Amino acid sequence: MRQIVFIQAINEALDEEMARDEKVFIIGEDVQSGVFGASRGLVNKYGTDRVMDTPLSETAVAGAALGAAMAGYRPVADFMFADFMWCAADEVFLKAAKWHFIHGGKVKLPMVLFGNIGGYARIGPEHSQCPESVVMHNPGLKLVVPSDPYSAKGLLKTAIRDDNPVVFFYHKRLLGVPGEVPEEEYTVPFGVADIKREGTDVTVVATAYMVQLALQAAEEMKDRVSIEVIDPRTLEPLDIDTIVKSVQKTGRVVIVDEDTKRCGVTTEIAMQIMENAFDSLDAPIQRVAAANFPIAGAYMEQYVLPQQKDIVTAVEKVIA
Amino acid sequence: MALDREQLVLLYTNLVRARKMDETVVKGLQEGKVVSFYHSGQGSEAVGVGVCTFLRDDDYLYPHHRGHGIAYILGKRANVKAFLAEHYGKTTGMAGGVAGFHGVDPEHGILGGGGTIGSQFPVSVGWGLACKKNGRGQVTICAFGDGSSNRGTLHEAMNMAAVWKLPVVWVCENNLYAQFMPIKDAYPREDIADLAAGYNMPGVVVDGQDVIAVHEAVQAAVERARAGEGPSLLECKTYRYRSHSEGSRDIAHADLRPEEEIEAWKKRDPIKLFREKLLEQGVVKEADIEQIEKEADGWAADVEKYATESPVPGPEMLEGSLYVQ
Repeated sequence: MRQIVFIQAINEALDEEMARDEKVFIIGEDVQSGVFGASRGLVNKYGTDRVMDTPLSETAVAGAALGAAMAGYRPVADFMFADFMWCAADEVFLKAAKWHFIHGGKVKLPMVLFGNIGGYARIGPEHSQCPESVVMHNPGLKLVVPSDPYSAKGLLKTAIRDDNPVVFFYHKRLLGVPGEVPEEEYTVPFGVADIKREGTDVTVVATAYMVQLALQAAEEMKDRVSIEVIDPRTLEPLDIDTIVKSVQKTGRVVIVDEDTKRCGVTTEIAMQIMENAFDSLDAPIQRVAAANFPIAGAYMEQYVLPQQKDIVTAVEKVIA
Repeated sequence: MALDREQLVLLYTNLVRARKMDETVVKGLQEGKVVSFYHSGQGSEAVGVGVCTFLRDDDYLYPHHRGHGIAYILGKRANVKAFLAEHYGKTTGMAGGVAGFHGVDPEHGILGGGGTIGSQFPVSVGWGLACKKNGRGQVTICAFGDGSSNRGTLHEAMNMAAVWKLPVVWVCENNLYAQFMPIKDAYPREDIADLAAGYNMPGVVVDGQDVIAVHEAVQAAVERARAGEGPSLLECKTYRYRSHSEGSRDIAHADLRPEEEIEAWKKRDPIKLFREKLLEQGVVKEADIEQIEKEADGWAADVEKYATESPVPGPEMLEGSLYVQ
């Protein structure tokens, strides 16, 4: 099968969905140039009315997308860095998340809130967050965090076709990662985890870029322990069944996510395992996540963000 | 375009009904039938009625929060029974009783409303963008108050709408107070309409107590928008007779609002002003006025009965309601 890189897969998803449905449009700051490459080149094909460069106004970008979605369009609102989405917190959390529900189901908001997440680029606290748990905490938003090109393309196509607001976070360290992506049309459903590596001793649940670190840790430890790596791919809906099934097999689990540890994604998944598979656990669950600090910049970043060695240490703890 | 007799009577009827429904909600709150809270709009009905009565059904509308939009909702021919039933928390409410007071009626261009003041600006840009993309000559009306005008959302939205020449009419109800905050202590100029110059769009100050003045100003702005010439800002100078929220003290900062101020505005009551004009011009007779009044009473009683008799929703309403399936 042909190989393309992650950001190309995203670009293809946008291209194909725009060709498929004229109601789809992209809106955001410098989307015509495509800062991370997601929408690069699409303006030549679809014009400035469907690849809309906006003033530097995240709140109005979110509002424009939200309103257009309510009025029958399928916007992809690109916030460039996910951190910038916070400027539009009202539109994201109080409007997009709630308005279908609080209006008794009379309106729908088919929109994608698109943003680049993650650290390991040393670009400081307001360009490096993985703010997944905040999204996950708010009922009404679906949340996609792909880790490979195939999933990224298929999940983005599903996100655009979904009649609900979907937050799509893609990690800056994955942009150039290659992977097999078929030329043929396909989509990937929400709520279906991907078993990235099969194993029998320890379950490692990892998201986005952490999947890479988890796979590297599994490889590094393969002579000592057989690690199963599971990528949930979507955090809402969360495929807890696949995780539980794995835990029932291994009895030991490490959860790895780049968001802050306190009240983070790892907290929620750990608790759901407790609620659904407590009797299967042979050791306390271990979590690897960002330390409870803002993401530091420059050289200090490494002391806040989770590292591969932290995963190794956590695995050693659960098998001890 | 001059309004004919039928249209003038419709405007007057809507004014009377908007007041009656406001009074009905206030009474409903006092009787414990309104579940949440209420921000009366008595005194400022000419704005919503004047803006909305002659809009198209497919024009989008973000109603003003005062009176929970009743003057706008009624003007737009939306379902008033459902409006009151929502306040009563009933399944027949605009949002099935899930919202408590947020209005929604998509068939009449009301796609929803929120609770954060100033959030109407960004979403209205989206509705305006859809209007422009649709190419069917629709417009979006975004109502807001003097308080909302202090929000930064106004700038982002008005700027974007102006740059893209979106068919949006920004309608400000300046009633001099944002909750307890007098506008003179929150904004450094006399007229909020002055902001329009910064966005290269028309900004017009309108007597918000004069329903015809409001109608004419909005007509001009709507025609401009439908013609693809972009947004406008109307500032309607108006007032509210009652406190910010039913049951709250009627204050400015921490002191009572001056009674002479309230009385002076009541002398320019929008219903009274329009009635006098219609009588003076011979459009209607005293008997017509009495008839409209009587019919409005019967109408309000019907609406109230409907809301009272509608069922309260149960927890089964939550099932499958978070997402579009």
